[in-house]
Amino acid sequence: MDKDKADQSLDALFDAARAAPPKVPDALMAAVVADAAAQMPAPRGGGSLVQRALAALGGLPALGGMVTATCVGFWLGLAPPEGLPDVGEAIWALGTENTTELAMVDVYDGGWISGIEEGFEDE
Amino acid sequence: MESGAASNAVGRARLSCGPDPDKGSLMDARLSDQADRDADADLLSRYAAGDAAAARLLAARLTPRLYAYAVRVLADEAAAQDVVQEAMLRVWKIAPDWRAGEAQVSTWAYRVVANLCTDLLRKQRTVALDAVAEPIDPAPTAEGRMQDAARLDALQAALSTLPDRQRQAVVLRHIEGLSNTEIGGILGVGVEAVESLTARGKRGLTTALSGQRAALGFEDDG
Repeated sequence: MDKDKADQSLDALFDAARAAPPKVPDALMAAVVADAAAQMPAPRGGGSLVQRALAALGGLPALGGMVTATCVGFWLGLAPPEGLPDVGEAIWALGTENTTELAMVDVYDGGWISGIEEGFEDE
Repeated sequence: MESGAASNAVGRARLSCGPDPDKGSLMDARLSDQADRDADADLLSRYAAGDAAAARLLAARLTPRLYAYAVRVLADEAAAQDVVQEAMLRVWKIAPDWRAGEAQVSTWAYRVVANLCTDLLRKQRTVALDAVAEPIDPAPTAEGRMQDAARLDALQAALSTLPDRQRQAVVLRHIEGLSNTEIGGILGVGVEAVESLTARGKRGLTTALSGQRAALGFEDDG
C-alpha cells in the first residue's frame, strides 16, 4: 500500500514536471539558429558541365574580365600605340625572307629588332 | 519553402509532442514516432542542401526537448544552455554526412547531450554536494500554482541526489517519455539495463522524497 502511494506520488511529480518544461531562453534559440547559419553547407554542385566550369572560374564577372583582357591584348598586338614596338608585324615579317619588310619593322636604331635586321643583312 | 510532404510530417510530429491524449492507441503512437523520425531526418537533409528554413524548424523541434532534458539532469540552466548549444552545433556539423535510416536524429542528439552532461557531472564531483543539488525552479511560479512549484523543486532536488546514469534514465523515461529502446540507444546500454536504472532511480527518488509527501500535498491523493 505504501509502495503504491509512493509510486502514485512519484507519478504525480513526473506529470507536473512534464506539464511544466523549462522554457528555452531566447538567447539559446538565437545562438542555435546562428550556429546553423554559420555551419550551413554550401549548396551541392548541380547544373551542367559548362555551368560548373564557369563557377570554378569565378562566375560571369570573372569571365567578362578574362574576355576583356584577351581582346585588349590581341588589339595591342595588332595595332600597338605609338611608342611601342609592333611585335605582331615583326613576327609575321620573320615568316618571310624579304629583308625590305624587315627594314620597315625596325622602328628603333638598335635593339633586338635592329639585331634581327642586321643578321639578315649578313646573309 | 517547405515541401508538402515535409510540412505534413512536421505537422503530424508536432501533434505528437507532449502528453498523448490517446495513450490507448499503440498504432497511433507508432505512426507518430515514424512521423517524428521522418520529419527530423527530412529537415536535416534539407538543411544539408542549404535550406535555412529547415534549420530553424529543426532547431525549434529539438532544442526545447534537449534543453528540458539537460536542465533536469544538470540542475543548472546556464550549463544546460552550453550543453544544448554544443549538441546542436554537432547536429549541424554532422548534417552533410548524415545517413538517413541508420539512426534517429533526436536519439543521436539526446546521446550527445547525455555524454556532455556526464562529462560535466564528472567534473563537478569535486564541487560541494550542496552546490550541485541546489534545486531550481524550471518554470516561473504563477499565482495559485505554488504547490506545483514546490513539487517541481522537490523532484529536482531528489533527482540531483541520484547517480548520473539513474538520473538520466529516469528523466528520459518518466519526464521526456522516451521508450526503453530509445533510452538504451542514448545511454549505450541494453533495454534490461535501462529498466534496472529506472527502477533503482525511482527507488532512490522515493527515498529522497520520503517524509515530504504531506508537505507536497500527497496525503490526500490516495
